[in-house]
Amino acid sequence: MEKAKELDELALKGEKSKSKIKKFFSQIAKDKYLYLLALPGLIYFLLFKYVPMWGITIAFKDFSPFLGYVESPWVGWQHFQRLFGNQDFFMLLRNTLAISFLNLIFFFPLPIILSLLLNEVRNQFYKRTVQSIVYLPHFLSWVIIASLTFMLLSKSEGVVNQLFVFFGFEKFDFLTNSDIFWFLLTGQSVWKEAGWGTIIFLAAIAGVNTELYEAARIDGANRFRQIWHVTLPAIRNVIIILLILRLGDVMEVGFEQVFLMYNGAVSEVAEVFDTYVYRVGIQQGQFSYSTAVGLFKSFVGLILVVIANKMSKKFGEEGIY
Amino acid sequence: MLKKALLMLTVLFLSILVACSGNDEESSGNNNENSNETENEENGEEEAANDADPAEVRIMSHFFSPTPPEQDGEIEQLIEEGTNTDLSIEWVSANNYEEKFNVMLASGDLPDLMLVPDPFSPVFRQAAQQGAFWDVSPYIDDYPNIKEGIADIAWELTSMDGANYGIPRPRPSEGETFFSLRKDWLDNLGMEIPETSDELYEVMRAFTHDDPDQNGEDDTIGYAGYVNPTDMGNMGVFEGIFTGATGQWKDVDGELIHTSLLPETRDAIEFLSNAYQDGLIPEDFASLQNSQAQEMFKSGEAGMISEKAGAFQEVYDTLKSINPDFEFTSLYPLPEVNGYNPAGPGFASVNVISKSVPEEKMKSILQMINDWMEDDVFQLHRHGIEGVHHTVEDGEVVINTEKAQEDAIGDFNQIVYVSDPYASSVKETFPEEAKELYKEIQDAREETSVPDVSLGLYSETAQTYLPELEKSLQDLKTKIILGSETIEAWDSLVEELEQDLDMQAMTDEMNEAYQAR
Repeated sequence: MEKAKELDELALKGEKSKSKIKKFFSQIAKDKYLYLLALPGLIYFLLFKYVPMWGITIAFKDFSPFLGYVESPWVGWQHFQRLFGNQDFFMLLRNTLAISFLNLIFFFPLPIILSLLLNEVRNQFYKRTVQSIVYLPHFLSWVIIASLTFMLLSKSEGVVNQLFVFFGFEKFDFLTNSDIFWFLLTGQSVWKEAGWGTIIFLAAIAGVNTELYEAARIDGANRFRQIWHVTLPAIRNVIIILLILRLGDVMEVGFEQVFLMYNGAVSEVAEVFDTYVYRVGIQQGQFSYSTAVGLFKSFVGLILVVIANKMSKKFGEEGIY
Repeated sequence: MLKKALLMLTVLFLSILVACSGNDEESSGNNNENSNETENEENGEEEAANDADPAEVRIMSHFFSPTPPEQDGEIEQLIEEGTNTDLSIEWVSANNYEEKFNVMLASGDLPDLMLVPDPFSPVFRQAAQQGAFWDVSPYIDDYPNIKEGIADIAWELTSMDGANYGIPRPRPSEGETFFSLRKDWLDNLGMEIPETSDELYEVMRAFTHDDPDQNGEDDTIGYAGYVNPTDMGNMGVFEGIFTGATGQWKDVDGELIHTSLLPETRDAIEFLSNAYQDGLIPEDFASLQNSQAQEMFKSGEAGMISEKAGAFQEVYDTLKSINPDFEFTSLYPLPEVNGYNPAGPGFASVNVISKSVPEEKMKSILQMINDWMEDDVFQLHRHGIEGVHHTVEDGEVVINTEKAQEDAIGDFNQIVYVSDPYASSVKETFPEEAKELYKEIQDAREETSVPDVSLGLYSETAQTYLPELEKSLQDLKTKIILGSETIEAWDSLVEELEQDLDMQAMTDEMNEAYQAR
């Protein structure tokens, strides 16, 4: 009896799933041209984004180029054990997080402030000019910015140090000083990207309903009050979305920038996951180990995005998914 | 529905993968068959090979000139004619060749003939052991120029488990990179050629503070030094004159010791730390690049650098454009300091032939190298084409330096080279008196030159341990020289290293290999 009942249930389930499949295919048949239209895009993503991800498996293998991806022997978590057992690991984590959080604290709010300021400028010509000037550095490559930094701050020929000497101060060591290295990076990021960051916020501000300002004015709000009570709340969702995206990037600190500013005197504060992967993976050819390091980094990034997204939903804001 | 979609995705994944790997196997299978076939037919074809169609050869090598030679340029065409080949050469900047090489190796798409910058690197060793390259040792006897043009010691040092996966690029062993200074400055100051590290320090001090260029301004510096994040850059020679060893290992009473453990290395660091404090080396040495340091010497700002005499042409041209009275022989390579100067191993890097090349073609590549080493072909990199790169006046070759440099004809030396014992010190373009002087100095250097004893010795532990060690040693050295750490930090690091198990294992393995030699 029991058995028969179970079988019945199974059959029922089978029918259900069968009907589901049918429904699925009939839906596809109905919109087949739409699906056909989407197919090239799907194939593109599969072929160029997902298939290459198979390469991640070498993080769990002892990859040797000549044996190839398939033949290389599996080694399980060995490379991860080496990473976590390495004393460099904490240094890498500390440097990466420190540089990221300094960016978050000093660099993230700046475009918001800058765009609020620009928004208050009434002369359109002046506003446009300033806006263009502050976002132009975005188009310079890090190589140029690194050499500009060198020309400005180097000890022997740097303009800043020459000025120090001219005014009778001691020369200051900017480039090979591990105490200020993180701040130097943050300063560079601000210089390069702060202006570019204003574009999104300015667009968001432009979308704020002007009636709200009128209402606020009638209520007797001055300029600051208007910013505080109208502009900022109106662009809050944009700020939060950008913050989430930034949190997801906490483990990414810009390889080029760090690599170009890197030197022996600051290596213990400058070595981050990206430069480490480059040094160990590309320069020393330890492909598997460096893939494991990169994978760990991406995994932490994923967790951070998920957490930030959950939090933003909890506070009643829209997330990114 | 989502589950189904995922399942389908996975199936698709797997089928694509299977397809890919299936192809791989097939193609490699084909290769084997091919090589078998050619082996069988080999005897019949040998005679026909001489007037066969030109062999297509894909080459990858590096270049040092500002721009590489033009693709299919005049020189390349003449070389193709002389060697009966159709070349396609991929020139990669020497600045990042090593990275490019590692990535190429990982991708598995290898050119037929490829430069391996470091034949002792773990990446190369592993690939060679797994059979990525041809072992050329059974074949070289058939090619007299290769056999005789490359020293036995070079084959010996680069062999691995009895096989020669690489063809060493012959280089003169004398005239290695060492101190070179401005003799005119020395004369202005009335000083002698320095022979000890103390005298060297005195010269550096005078070059910095005593106005050696006599322009009345304090605008000179003693030594144009820089360091890299993982090695001493061009300041490694200072360690050499103290330890008396070239490379990282020193033979002390028959036992190899890593130089970092020697007290002489500590002396070298103190020497440099003092030099930094007295302003004798650039304040920015830790963040300078090689090219920037060379610029300081070329522009007449620095009085000393480490460089091969053979590289003086560019320095001379620049200094001459600033001061028309500048003489070539004012660039003076030091014969020795503290009775030491470094010697090379007689080769620099190796070229390898990919195993994906069938045997017949591998032979034609060897034949190409052999023909290329013939005088009439090789002369093309030295003199170029008559009427374009040189003219013959009274039976003497006069080279148009500018045109030769513009066409980068010397870059072909990176692929095939015929060693001339004085090539590191003297170049064709130098004036006669400079040639004589530099040859004389090289002869003097030969008596005290020290080669790297550890070259070619293999240690398993060193493969992972040494890169990390080098980095931590260099970090500390840089900091001590900068003054942000004291020399006591070095003492405690050395104490730690003496107890370090990896260091002991590496030293034991190196000594074992050393005794077995």
